[in-house]
Amino acid sequence: MPVKKQWDVVVIGAGPAGLAAAIAACDSGADVCIIEREKKPGGVLKQCIHDGFGLIRFGERLSGPEYAYRYHQMVSERGIPVISETYLLGITKNQTDGKFLLQMQNSADSIFILEARAVVAATGCRERTARQVFIHGDRPAGILTAGTAQYIVNIQGFLPTRRCVILGSGDIGLIMARRLTLEGAEVEGVYEIKPEPSGLTRNIQQCLTDFEIPLHLSATVLAVHGKRRVESVVIGKVDQSGQPITGTERTVPCDALILSVGLIPENEIIEPLGVEMDRKTGGPIVDQNMMTSLDGLFACGNAVHVNDLVDYVSESGQTAGKAAAAYANVQQQRGLLSERRTVSARRLINIQAAGNMHYIVPQRLDLAHHVGADDGADNCAAFYFRSRVRANSALLRISAGKTLLEERRYAVVRPPEMERITLNLADLNHICSPDWNDLPGQSRLIKAELVSVSEGGDSANDNG
Amino acid sequence: MAEGLAAVRSALMRKNLNVDANEWRNSVALTGHVSSWEQYMEAGYAAAGKGYEAVVNDLTVEGVVPFKPSMPEPQNPIDPDTYFDAVVIGGGVIGSAIARELTRWDITVALLEKENDLAMQTSSRNDGMVHPPFAVTPGSKKAHYNQRGNKMFAQTARELGVSLEWPGMLMLFSNPWQRAFLPAIWQRIKQNEVCGVEFWNRQRVFKMEPNITADQHGGVFLPDSGIVSPYQLTVAFGENAVQNGATVLLNTVVTGFQMEHNRITHVCTNRGLIQAGVVINAAGVWSDVVAGYANDRFFTIHGRKGTAAILDRKVGHTQRTILSQPRFASHSHTKGGGLVPTIDGNLLLGPTAVEVPEREDYSTNASALEFVFDHHLKLNKSLKRSDIITYFSGVRACTFEEDFVIKTSDYVANLVHAAGIQSPGLASSPAIAQDVALLAVKALAAVAGRAIQPNAAFDPCRKAPPDLRGMSLEERAALIRRNPSYGRIICRCECISEGEILNTIHSLVPVQSLDGIKRRARAGMGRCQGGFCTPLLLEIMAREQQINIAEICKSGGHSEIALQPTKNAAVDCASEGAGSAALALSAANNSRRQEDYNAG
Ligand SMILES: Cc1cc2nc3c(=O)[nH]c(=O)nc-3n(C[C@H](O)[C@H](O)[C@H](O)COP(=O)(O)OP(=O)(O)OC[C@H]3O[C@@H](n4cnc5c(N)ncnc54)[C@H](O)[C@@H]3O)c2cc1C
Ligand SMILES: Cc1cc2nc3c(=O)[nH]c(=O)nc-3n(C[C@H](O)[C@H](O)[C@H](O)COP(=O)(O)OP(=O)(O)OC[C@H]3O[C@@H](n4cnc5c(N)ncnc54)[C@H](O)[C@@H]3O)c2cc1C
Repeated sequence: MPVKKQWDVVVIGAGPAGLAAAIAACDSGADVCIIEREKKPGGVLKQCIHDGFGLIRFGERLSGPEYAYRYHQMVSERGIPVISETYLLGITKNQTDGKFLLQMQNSADSIFILEARAVVAATGCRERTARQVFIHGDRPAGILTAGTAQYIVNIQGFLPTRRCVILGSGDIGLIMARRLTLEGAEVEGVYEIKPEPSGLTRNIQQCLTDFEIPLHLSATVLAVHGKRRVESVVIGKVDQSGQPITGTERTVPCDALILSVGLIPENEIIEPLGVEMDRKTGGPIVDQNMMTSLDGLFACGNAVHVNDLVDYVSESGQTAGKAAAAYANVQQQRGLLSERRTVSARRLINIQAAGNMHYIVPQRLDLAHHVGADDGADNCAAFYFRSRVRANSALLRISAGKTLLEERRYAVVRPPEMERITLNLADLNHICSPDWNDLPGQSRLIKAELVSVSEGGDSANDNG
Repeated sequence: MAEGLAAVRSALMRKNLNVDANEWRNSVALTGHVSSWEQYMEAGYAAAGKGYEAVVNDLTVEGVVPFKPSMPEPQNPIDPDTYFDAVVIGGGVIGSAIARELTRWDITVALLEKENDLAMQTSSRNDGMVHPPFAVTPGSKKAHYNQRGNKMFAQTARELGVSLEWPGMLMLFSNPWQRAFLPAIWQRIKQNEVCGVEFWNRQRVFKMEPNITADQHGGVFLPDSGIVSPYQLTVAFGENAVQNGATVLLNTVVTGFQMEHNRITHVCTNRGLIQAGVVINAAGVWSDVVAGYANDRFFTIHGRKGTAAILDRKVGHTQRTILSQPRFASHSHTKGGGLVPTIDGNLLLGPTAVEVPEREDYSTNASALEFVFDHHLKLNKSLKRSDIITYFSGVRACTFEEDFVIKTSDYVANLVHAAGIQSPGLASSPAIAQDVALLAVKALAAVAGRAIQPNAAFDPCRKAPPDLRGMSLEERAALIRRNPSYGRIICRCECISEGEILNTIHSLVPVQSLDGIKRRARAGMGRCQGGFCTPLLLEIMAREQQINIAEICKSGGHSEIALQPTKNAAVDCASEGAGSAALALSAANNSRRQEDYNAG
């Protein structure tokens, strides 16, 4: 297969993360293109016709398509090509020159190869399915994920249900509860196995409370009945360990079971490259430049960890794009000097999530290179983290050895609400002096710890 | 036979079952009432093997209402003058293979299937293994057909253009003392003529399967163990039959026969009468019921459910062979199951074996899945529960004799049974089809009073659609240049193109449902389980069949995915682009763009 074209940076996926990455790469002088398997850019935002997008980025309440449109405009203005309806079959990295070869397929050009100095994976996420949460019973039509229901309603213009039960209180499920109600369908209730809702508080209020849709916590679907189409589901309460409590079963007649039980980052395309993955996030381990463990391969957006706000997705895309451009350029310049020299090695420190910290992204810091997202604050890096538990009055402490880098109090932290902080890396460089690498493994670590003053606290029913 | 009856009665008495046993033709028939399904089963087995051809178990069971086959939605009627020389009932792997075999003869053939596609029942709900004839009882019909079928598989698959691989099966010893079974194993191997068997010690096992559990003590390797896609094989049999002149009638259920003397004249269906020369009963779990329509129910089928789980293709590479850990000592009625690589690169765990009164009960439950995990997941130590992408159940059609029923009826001159085809029915299918077709042609010749000539135009090779997975990149590129629809990927997880989906819609046995597309083309079979491609498949089907999206079904009957259009048209950003979609107002304000939606 001949190489069709060479690029500094190829971005995989034209969702909000990919669009932001391409814009940033282009603004940093890179020759960049985006590849997208769907017809239109925008990723999953195309079907999110509700509002609430862009409060941080644009200071406005935009709908998903509007948000995507703004980014698409910026891409078009820069003349960045979006190679759409094009599927990435696989990626390999050439060990000698460090370049990536992307094997592509589409109708117009059949199969071809693109070459890239740096690659940004912005492949988004997929929904966890009924089978992955072990739904049992019959297997009729009418069991679908909230995202699929969203596509059928918002893009295709059809109702997949007249009366449904929603399992899981993830944001897409909440949004769909409202959407289906507005379309005249009845949502019998939203059932959540955990004692806490997993969606954003604002969505609980605006999508359920305002529409008088009941939210049942510590309850789940035990079985589905129906030969051809869903006829009913059996609901039951669960105890603290998530086990059904006998005697609490209740049969709810309905024609659909809609699931909103979690999102899984999609990284199947980069996993074969041997990229190190984070079991907690389901995405690749990245440094503050959004570079994965493989030099030249960057990742951003929901492919790295599932974000609850698209604004943060764009932010990570911007970082990845800028850093990818920088990497490509470095590589190019080095290439001019001598074919054999590569980019200077990274000096990576691991960041360990401790205490109640569920995960923190990035999981590593590169002390040798720092690109920085915003031009104004080049020394700063953004971190995103989630708490493992709900806690009132929590304390975040980030330390390198004995040195405290950051301490911050939170009135409340909840697993569904992601937190963002910035760290000034100038401090770090000072602490982690060049002999850092000579330190024994344990001390070469940054610890990000979340401790709570009161755990659990008042239960979740304050949400309605 | 009176001795047999006494033996049956005393066996029932020993089990404390208040059941009456009487002779019916060459069978023994049980009547009475029992309190549980376990007792029903116990009685049936107690009566089996006492000198009768088969057991007719007519016991009623407390709390169990006899289940009936699911019926298709109303269909257009068949021309009342319709006649076929041979009518095959049941479009599973057995019926489809028989239909194809019959087209070797110069006769008219119809294949009747009550579901809306071939392979909707057991033939799409199994392990997809071409078993070596090891676990089958020596001397049984099962053993005979398993041996022959296994040997015929390579050629059959080649002719039909169906992928087949021979990873071999490794039966592991979980205890050092299990090696004591080796002499018995060797004897079985000799009796059943299992070829190429090797004993592997612990080191050899580790060398071949590095991810295997440490808890093993060597094993027996059976190289003639194959894997195939059972539904693709069934459809391929059906397509090749149609190519050679057969007619496939889907959504067509047989509800009875019209008889004259001891001969079927007409097959009664939901679509009217069909005149038939000879009738073949390949109705799977309902084969005893169909036999009963001709007053020839001399055996009883009971359903034995099996549940299996499918793991992500990501972990498919962690294992080469089919791994199993049989319980050598027990008399369980399953081939033991195990960890089976599938032809599409996934791993399959299972199946279980549980007796169920309902024969179309494809539901799953947590305990069956736990059983599968507990028994099989640990064999390969690189596997995790979270690698599961789906699970399913199938129901085996078993007789109390635990053997196939393959014969021309003793009482109905033009009825041939291919019944009770439980495991290894798939592995045996080419051989069963060969014999059943010959029996049918003989019966037809006798009732029609004429010699049946071979079909000179018969072509055993199916005109198979291109298999993109098996192609090199260059070949695939050339194919896409000829037909660009092969370039457009619809199912992202399994990398299935629009062209492959169109092939199922325009097949010689056209697909009618999303599940049909899923099984035949694999669209929706991957890790997202159709989350992304279901809406796209709806659009393609609506376009190709010129129907509304709301008419498209998941499987048969009323299993539509989309029920009705939304109040207002949807925001068609897919075809209008993000620009116009940006005009969309928030749903919270309940104001939407008024725009005609466009299903295409
Ligand atoms: C079903 C669903 C519904 C959601 N609903 C909401 C919501 O209501 N509100 C909210 O705030 N957030 C929602 N989110 C999350 C939010 O939209 C995300 O934060 C954001 O869309 C993630 O952006 P992304 O660019 O990382 O991924 P995506 O928007 O998913 O974009 C990834 C893009 O990459 C393309 N791609 C992936 N792999 C390849 C490949 N191999 N080759 C070519 N192209 C490829 C995909 O087609 C896609 O266009 C939802 C997410 C999902 C999955
Ligand atoms: C869990 C499990 C695992 C298995 N694994 C294996 C394996 O690995 N290898 C192997 O060799 N075997 C295996 N088997 C057995 C194998 O699947 C069966 O032997 C085989 O599929 C039987 O095919 P069939 O055509 O007889 O039955 P079916 O596929 O059930 O076909 C019968 C058809 O008849 C139709 N029908 C019934 N009544 C009527 C009527 N009145 N009118 C019209 N149509 C009617 C039904 O709809 C059905 O489609 C397994 C079975 C199970 C359950």
